[in-house]
Amino acid sequence: MPPLIRFASLLPLAFALSASALDLSRKPPGGSELLPADQAFQLVSAQRTAEGVRLSWMIAPGYYLYRQRFAAEPADGGAPLAALRLPKGAAKHDEHFGDVEIYTEAVDADLPVARGQTAPTRLKLRWQGCAEAGVCYPPVSRIVDVAAAP
Amino acid sequence: MSSARPNLAIVAACVVALAAGVAVFLLRPGAAPDLDDASASVGATPAAANERLPANLKLAELDGRAFSLDDYKGKLLIINFWATWCAPCLHEIPVLVTMQQRYGTKGLQIIGPAVDDIEDARRAAPGLKFNYPVAVGTPEAMLDLMSQLGNEQGGLPFSVVIGADGLVLERQLGEYSEVELAALIEKNLPN
Repeated sequence: MPPLIRFASLLPLAFALSASALDLSRKPPGGSELLPADQAFQLVSAQRTAEGVRLSWMIAPGYYLYRQRFAAEPADGGAPLAALRLPKGAAKHDEHFGDVEIYTEAVDADLPVARGQTAPTRLKLRWQGCAEAGVCYPPVSRIVDVAAAP
Repeated sequence: MSSARPNLAIVAACVVALAAGVAVFLLRPGAAPDLDDASASVGATPAAANERLPANLKLAELDGRAFSLDDYKGKLLIINFWATWCAPCLHEIPVLVTMQQRYGTKGLQIIGPAVDDIEDARRAAPGLKFNYPVAVGTPEAMLDLMSQLGNEQGGLPFSVVIGADGLVLERQLGEYSEVELAALIEKNLPN
């Protein structure tokens, strides 16, 4: 087999092996170690868009956020905002909370702003989640500055 | 020479793929930050030798009545922090109620500080059928209390177990099972 063809044929296998080996090494095994809430759930971006504001969170492996526990309001007491638009989450049944939706890995939320209105520059955001190891974090409340559109 | 070429190709393929795999892993959505010293262990953690709670810790019951942890000196004390937004807490509370009922006359006293808005805790309390005192305060005050008792991250449920001699026995982050909690209690009951 020519060397170049052999090189190309081995790439997918080696790639898959290296990525999966790293991933396995980083997952909390049964959640024996618990991250601080700000590391488990990171708000990584709050940016104006043509339609309003886009908010992005990253969620560490082994942790999840509840869809029903996101909230946004003006930080400076301005006019009420529209409801956050959140994607459909994964279904989870809880004996106390009933059927809920959760997010893992990452989630983007959109805060729409009506045509002619100005997007807020500061927001008070709230979110709440748990570790799959059976520990939940208090609701996080943060005031964030909204970055200008790229 | 000709036999060395395929080997070189294999090595090169592995190096390129490993680098790509590392890059994809580190840049993927939801990539975990490094664990650092701020991480806490889920499960039971034994207390340090001769450790005692801070003196004169005061709490308020659901009806506003003030009480002190010192009121329960001489009892096996379990302080179990809970909240209405915490599903594992709501799952654990019936176990605690059972333990209080079973061992209360033998010197067990459970106390349940709620890391919650006071009104939320008051609304939820009847349905949870507490047979032990529930303490309330602002969420910030309860988080501060929990931090004083050894849980800086605020994860729930969280319990601190104090022996009848006033020495801290252990802390538990996450739920106790009924079996392990009963064993712990029976081992440390004063009567």
